[in-house]
Amino acid sequence: MSGLELQLRLLWRRNAGLWSLFTLLAALLVVYAWLHPGLLSIAGVARFTQTWFPVALVALAQTLIMLAGGIDLSIGAMVSLGCVLAATLVGETATAAGLGIAAVVAIGATIGATTGAIVALLRLPAIIVTLAGSFLIAGAALLVMPRPGGSMPDWLSDALAGDRPTALAMLILLLIAWRVLQATPLGHAINAAGDNPQGAFRSGVDVPLARIATYALSGALASFAGVYVAAQTGAGDPVIGMPLTLDSITAAVLGGVGFLGGQGTLRGAIAGSLLLVILINVMFFLGFPPVAQYVAKGLIIVAAMAVRLLRAG
Amino acid sequence: MPQAIARRAVAALGLLTAAVALQLAATAPATAAAKCIKGDRKAPYTVGWANIYSVPTWMKQTSGTIEDVVEQLKAKGLVDSYVVTDAEGNANTQIAQIQSMIDADVDAIVVIAGSSTALNRVIEQACEKGIAVANVDSLVTTDQLTVKINTDSNKWGAQAAEFLIGAMGGKGKIIIMNGPAGISVSEDRRAGATPVLAAHPEIEILTETNTPYNAAPAQEAMTSLLFQYPEIDGILSLGGALTAGAILAMDRQGRPMVPMTGENYRQFLELWKEKGLTAWATMQPNWLGGFGVYAAVQALEGRDIPAFVEVPLPIIDNSNLDEYLARAADFPADGYIYSPYSLEMFDDLLAGK
Repeated sequence: MSGLELQLRLLWRRNAGLWSLFTLLAALLVVYAWLHPGLLSIAGVARFTQTWFPVALVALAQTLIMLAGGIDLSIGAMVSLGCVLAATLVGETATAAGLGIAAVVAIGATIGATTGAIVALLRLPAIIVTLAGSFLIAGAALLVMPRPGGSMPDWLSDALAGDRPTALAMLILLLIAWRVLQATPLGHAINAAGDNPQGAFRSGVDVPLARIATYALSGALASFAGVYVAAQTGAGDPVIGMPLTLDSITAAVLGGVGFLGGQGTLRGAIAGSLLLVILINVMFFLGFPPVAQYVAKGLIIVAAMAVRLLRAG
Repeated sequence: MPQAIARRAVAALGLLTAAVALQLAATAPATAAAKCIKGDRKAPYTVGWANIYSVPTWMKQTSGTIEDVVEQLKAKGLVDSYVVTDAEGNANTQIAQIQSMIDADVDAIVVIAGSSTALNRVIEQACEKGIAVANVDSLVTTDQLTVKINTDSNKWGAQAAEFLIGAMGGKGKIIIMNGPAGISVSEDRRAGATPVLAAHPEIEILTETNTPYNAAPAQEAMTSLLFQYPEIDGILSLGGALTAGAILAMDRQGRPMVPMTGENYRQFLELWKEKGLTAWATMQPNWLGGFGVYAAVQALEGRDIPAFVEVPLPIIDNSNLDEYLARAADFPADGYIYSPYSLEMFDDLLAGK
C-alpha cells in the first residue's frame, strides 16, 4: 500500500459519516453559484461568508462544549451581550478598537469560565446552569443597552464585513488554531473528558479544568460572534443573538456532534452551519414561497441526518 | 410717446420673465428624484417583500395588502415579478435575505424591520445599488433609503387618552393596558398618553398591565385585577386584542361596562356593538405594506416622494363603527378590520394631502 493510498484511506475513515453532508453541501453550492453567478467573485464570496460567519462561530462554540460532554443554552444571549458591549466599548482609533474587542472577548471568556466552574465543580446539570445563565446574560445585555443603538467605526465594519473575504480568512485561521490546540495536552483533555471522563481522570487528566476551559473558549467565541454582528450591522442590538442558540445546536448535531460528548468534529459543525445558511439563500433563488421554505428546510435537515444514521447503523 | 415705449418695454420684460419662469418650472421635476433612485431601472419592476415573520394574523393581512397592490401594479404594467422572504423573527436571517434580494438585483424592497439597527448596512448597500427601499411599520435608524412610512405611536396614545378622559367627564379611576415592555411601539404609545393624563389630576391610574398583544393573556391579567379593584371607571387599552380580553373578563364577572379604547381588532369591534359600549379605536393599518410597494414603484418611475410619510391614524368611534362591521366578513375572525385603501389615496398621502 502506497503512502498516498494510506493517507486517502485515513482521510476517508476520519470523515466517515460526514460525506453525505459534504456531498449535499457541494451540490447546494453548485446550485447556488449557478443561480447567482455573482457568488463566484471576491465580493460575492465575502458577502456570503459574512452571513455564514456568526452562525459558524456559535456552532464552534457549542461543539467545543458538546465534545466535552456539556451543552450551552446561553450562547445566543452571549452573542447579544458581545454585540451591545462592542457597540459601546469599541473606539474609533485602531488601538481603541483593538482594546475594545479584546475587552469584549475577555468578558465573554470570563463569563464562560464562571459558567464552566459552576458546572464542573458544583456538578450541576449543564442544561440548567446555562439556561439560568442565558436569562442573566440576556438581562445584562438589556442593562447595557435597553433598545438598539450604539455604533461601530465605519472602517472596522468595512474591514470585517465589507467587500473583502475577512470572515472566510478568520474561519480558516480558527480551524488551524483548533488543529494546533488538539496537539496540546489541553486538546486531548477536552476530547477525553467528553468521551470517557472516568478513564480520563484515571489517566491523570484534570477533567474539571478541561471542562472549564471549553466553556471559557466557547464564551470567547460567542462574544466574538457578537463583536462581528456589531461590525456587520454597524450597531448594537440587545436581543439579536437569541435565535442563534438553537442554530448552534442544530448546526452541531447536523455536523455529527453527539449529545453524549466525545463524538464529532469541529469541521462537521462548520459544515452543519453552512447547510443552515446556504439553504436560506438557495431557497430564495429557487423562488420558494415562505411556507414551502419551512417544509423544505425541515425535510433537508431530516434527510441529512437520516443518511448519516443509516450509514452508521 | 416715451411713456408708451417704456410701458411696452416693461410688458416685454414681464413676458420674458414669465417665459423663463415657465421654463424653470417645466425642467424642475426632471432633476428631482427620490433617494436611492438613479434612473437606470425601467418598468416593469421586480418587487421584493422582506417579511420579518409571516405567521401572525396581522402579518398575514399585511402580506395580503402587498400582494393586492402588486397585482394592481401588474395590471398597469409597472410590476412583473414579486419575491417574498420570511425571516422567522430572526434579524440575522433578514439580513441574509435582503442580501439575496440585492444579489438577485430586484428593483424595489419593502421591509418591516426585525431590528431598528441591524439592517442599516444591508439597506444602505441596497440604496447604493439604486434599489428603491420602502421601510414601513417597524423602522430602521438609517436614512439611506427611499422612504419610511408609519403612523405616529405617540399620537396613538395621546388621542386614546383624550377620548377616554372626555368620555369619563374628566375624572375617575382607570386601568392602563399596555403591550409588551421594552417594545418601541408599546413604549411610544404609553409615552404619548403620559402628558395627557398628567394634565388631568382627577384621573387616577389604578394600575397598568404589560402583556403580549393577544386577547387571552390580557383577559387573564384583567380577571385578577377585577377582584382587586371593585370600582373602575375607564380602561385605557393601548392596542392589539387587549380590549377584547378586558371585555370578556368583565363580562364573565358581570361587571358593568365602562368607556374604553382599543385597536381595530375584529372581536373587539363586534363586542363593542354587542354590548353597546362607549368606545374609541384606531389602528396601525395593514395597508402600510401595500402603500410601501406603491411608494417604491412611484419613486422608480421618477416621482420625487418625501423621505418620510406619516400616515394619519384612522379613527373608529360610535359614529362609524357600523361601516367597519359591515365589512367584517372580509376579514379573519382573529384579524384586524383595517380602513379601506386605494392607489388614489396613496397618491394623496405621497402628495402630503
